[in-house]
Amino acid sequence: MVEVHLPRSAVRATKVALKEVNYRIRPFAQNVFISRAELKQEQDGSVADRQSSGEAVGKAKEPEPEPEPYSAQKPPWFPVRPVAVKDNIATADLPTTCASGILKNHQSPFEASVVEQLRSTGAPIIGKTNMDEFGMGSHSTNSFFGTVTNPPPFDRLSVGGSSGGSAVAVAQKLVDIAIGTDTGGSVRLPAAYSGVVGFKPSYGLISRWGVVPYANSLDTVGILARSCKQVFKTFVSMQEHDPKDPTSLSEKSRMRAFTSGSNRWRELSDQNFKDFHKLRIGVPEQYNIFELDGRTRQSWQRTLMLFQDLGCTIVPISLPNTQQALPAYYILAMAEAASNLSKYDGVRYGTRSQSSDGAGDVLYSESRGEGFGDEVKRRILLGSYALSSDAIDNYFIKAQKVRRLVQQDFDRVFSMPNPLRDPEQFDLSEMDESILLNNKLGPSQVDLIVCPTSPTPAPNLDDIANQRPVDAYINDVFTVPASMAGLPAISVPLKRRPTDSPRFDGMQIIGQYSDDYRVIFVAHELEKLLKIDNASGQWRKENRESLN
Amino acid sequence: MARIAPRVLRSYLFGGQVPARGCLRRSPVRSPALQRYHGTQAPLAETNSAPSISIPFRKQLKDEAKRRKVEGFGKKAKKDNQKLEDWELTVGIEIHAQLNTARKLFSSAASTINDVPNTHVALFDVAMPGSQPAFQKETLIPALRAALALNCTIQKTSKFDRKHYMHWDQPSGYQITQYYEPFAKDGHITLYAHDGIAKEDGDRIDIGIKQIQMEQDTAKTISQPGDIHLLDFNRVGLPLIEIITLPQIHHPSTAAAMVRKIQIILNSVDACVLGLQSGGLRADVNVSVRRRDGEEGENEYSGVKGLGKRTEIKNLSSFKAVEDAIIAERDRQIGVLDAGGKIEGETRGWTIGSTETRRLRGKEGEVDYRYMPDPDLGPVIIGQDLIDHLHESLGVLPDHEINILVDDYGLTTKDAMSLVSLNEGGRHEYFRNVVDELQRLAPKQDLKEAGRLAGNWVLHEMGGLSNVEVDEEDPLRMTSDGDCIIPSTELAQLVHYLDTSKITGKSAKKVLSELFSSGRSKSTKDLIDEAGLWFTPLSVAEYEELARSILDMKVVEQILAGKDGKINFLVGQMMRKDGDGRVDPQKATVVLKKLIEEFRE
Repeated sequence: MVEVHLPRSAVRATKVALKEVNYRIRPFAQNVFISRAELKQEQDGSVADRQSSGEAVGKAKEPEPEPEPYSAQKPPWFPVRPVAVKDNIATADLPTTCASGILKNHQSPFEASVVEQLRSTGAPIIGKTNMDEFGMGSHSTNSFFGTVTNPPPFDRLSVGGSSGGSAVAVAQKLVDIAIGTDTGGSVRLPAAYSGVVGFKPSYGLISRWGVVPYANSLDTVGILARSCKQVFKTFVSMQEHDPKDPTSLSEKSRMRAFTSGSNRWRELSDQNFKDFHKLRIGVPEQYNIFELDGRTRQSWQRTLMLFQDLGCTIVPISLPNTQQALPAYYILAMAEAASNLSKYDGVRYGTRSQSSDGAGDVLYSESRGEGFGDEVKRRILLGSYALSSDAIDNYFIKAQKVRRLVQQDFDRVFSMPNPLRDPEQFDLSEMDESILLNNKLGPSQVDLIVCPTSPTPAPNLDDIANQRPVDAYINDVFTVPASMAGLPAISVPLKRRPTDSPRFDGMQIIGQYSDDYRVIFVAHELEKLLKIDNASGQWRKENRESLN
Repeated sequence: MARIAPRVLRSYLFGGQVPARGCLRRSPVRSPALQRYHGTQAPLAETNSAPSISIPFRKQLKDEAKRRKVEGFGKKAKKDNQKLEDWELTVGIEIHAQLNTARKLFSSAASTINDVPNTHVALFDVAMPGSQPAFQKETLIPALRAALALNCTIQKTSKFDRKHYMHWDQPSGYQITQYYEPFAKDGHITLYAHDGIAKEDGDRIDIGIKQIQMEQDTAKTISQPGDIHLLDFNRVGLPLIEIITLPQIHHPSTAAAMVRKIQIILNSVDACVLGLQSGGLRADVNVSVRRRDGEEGENEYSGVKGLGKRTEIKNLSSFKAVEDAIIAERDRQIGVLDAGGKIEGETRGWTIGSTETRRLRGKEGEVDYRYMPDPDLGPVIIGQDLIDHLHESLGVLPDHEINILVDDYGLTTKDAMSLVSLNEGGRHEYFRNVVDELQRLAPKQDLKEAGRLAGNWVLHEMGGLSNVEVDEEDPLRMTSDGDCIIPSTELAQLVHYLDTSKITGKSAKKVLSELFSSGRSKSTKDLIDEAGLWFTPLSVAEYEELARSILDMKVVEQILAGKDGKINFLVGQMMRKDGDGRVDPQKATVVLKKLIEEFRE
């Protein structure tokens, strides 16, 4: 039984003297970090234990011992683990730059709720990870502080983005857990490319207070770790209502959502294994696209076979609006981004151009021109255009409608009702022709959807450099629909065979809104199945021929 | 409809946490009767802003009367009038008023007016990266009161949108406002002749209100020499309402009257802070003209079709500026069109004291605000119970108050207007106190009778009092609670003595002036005692003696000849002769008739 840790209640008592933390800023190997707290390392590489922290050079890096009542409650299974946090999440000790020139020296005066929650569990935050500027990118190349890279010999492969620094920090075992943000796949994609687990929760379950927004209606705080178990524990410790975040799901709604059928999946134990074979797993036919890499398709098949072997039912499903999801996503995300980024003018914080504010006749054009990178500027322009009075009807409004259709697609295929919406009657006559009907009652419904995280494994950075900017957006085609609908999704890494580069595929499990626990649980099972399968060599022997 | 004083409301609505400031401030002592029935505005704590909020109604009335007289005589025949016969002016107004709330619209920072700069600023107010808005639902209360007072339909669901433009006083680069779904729509306001509307608009005119929206204020810029601008973020994020009227105003003076009336209404329902003149209220006007006889204009604004191309004049901060700017812009547009030119849709500015509007930016320089629903803020759902409650507690609006004074208290409209507008409503409170006391002293007296009596003394007799030594604006020192140098109970007593013929009218005026100069130290009764002013009725013998002394045989003969009316002349003579005002005309008539009859023989 998992005891839910109560983070915020403990946090005030454990708050460290944050300003005293010594930290280093760049450069770090592979540009993984933008800033790092100086922690005293024990010989075994683990973080210095609490007693010695007083004498440590970089003192006050860990929390003071918690007061008795809380330490008594503290779950024994949650040891102090070093954590890295993406640099668009505010910390009061380390700078928060969003990997942007305009915030290159920005020291946040407050701390994000998720950071407070992490600290209250005793986890030291050892650094702020590099990323695409303001989360805008899929390869962690758009950073003011340089591209995040894998260690050689894979240093020319994309680490994915935008939470690339977080993914590499976990993959390289610099930390056990890293926090990222996922707007359209920014946690899942780097997790898939870097071979770690990346989880994006349902929208509104984890507080965004202190998370510098890219697109508020899509942004979620995600978790990267080397195992689903760690993802699960971290998720449990951060999943609570935050009154400071107006989009945080209320306590009442959580109660309703978590007791509507999926609650039994809240425990990560084998008790539930007996229900596993009852799972109906959906395979969206629209995801079987031309651009899908051959071996990624094989990995997908392998995953489905593993589920099938355990008795799960594999069901083809149709999500007819998938094609429109990607362009609609980019319109919405850029529109919101253009709006959110208008606050960076160098007046109150951030860098400011030496030349006059009004130079070139437009206020702040110099400061913003110098501070933002190219991709950010591109998205501000596109977003501003999508919102302009001439274009809003054809772009922004249409994209909102597509978003609603994408949500309806998911609500139609999931057997669990969406707790945020009234049940909807789907009229068969209005249904897209591509939707297969199970019987005269309508299309079949499923518990979860399994699909690749990305159509290809990690691409080469040199190829990316030669792409048009819009080509890079295709990487998000499988991750964006879940973001548009606010659904929980997790990416589980599959080692590719043969193990020449690139080495990983990501397999994504998507669930209905608030079905987060089951999504992590099934990912955890998949993780175990893959381990057994890899060890036994069954996969190679039995299935390879049938696939080829 | 019982009127609950806003102060009482406040005390249970928010645990008494709403600041007593601006139009909410009032001193703690109030008569229970007034708490029940009505309340009015109170003085401001800040001396610099106090005079500006009161509208000089008396002056307005006088000016209004004067103007109408002048126009009535048709002396204002100028060449412009010829023009105005050919052209019709159309004006729509947007009024921004700062809501009277304890906190900002989207943060829990306190709303203050003149505090040390940058001392009430939350993270969200300065758009600190990662901070999020927290809608303060208490701000809805004054906003809803304003909307209800302006007869709007409250929208059950409203939403917040971002309006993008960059300026240093706008930290986020956008203002959060309600563009697509405002919280109140389809209201109207009725303006009467006494509000100062143009003669052409007749006795009353209804102006439609398209919508009222909530939005954020900007930071205050304090400009220093050397092109340095200091920013005070205390003001940023304060809640405003923007009231948008339909383009249904056709005369500059009606526009000014409309702004003035909205301010009076907002004050009376405790919705706003400060007045137009002191910056708590700002107005933008849209002006267009079209030929009366020509074809209809091509433009449609707020659903009103056939209008001429309009221009917008921004940031008008006084009633006079509203009126003058409209006149100047009207004349400019007519001039341009007469000369064969075209009106450009542009934004123009106005400087006080100027005679012309000036171009600020044209259409090509017009900002595209790129309105977008705020993705952090959910819809605002307003329950019917809240609307009902606020509707019931809204109380009596100024127009209704005047109707009560006219219909129930027997005052003239003019007197009623003066009463509610003087001393920020204090005179009205005082009046009600006097009437209440009179009703206590003479329970059988008709309310209209008591009202007229009290009205005469409170307005006209007391209005004539002045301090010889010091030239004071308000010699009575009337507070908005209806407290002044002459206690209301003493005045009521005096009026009662007069009404029951215990003293004469002449004596009463003498006593009033004594009450004023003695400054609360003596009671009415003492003063009458001291001066021996108690009225002792004349005996019949005294009447006869008095009558004989003035009898004029000529008149007597005329009366005997049948001209009965002449007897009044003699009564008047008697009253004049007596000098102390003790002669009762009826008794005098009886005595006189008797004497004259004696002559008949």
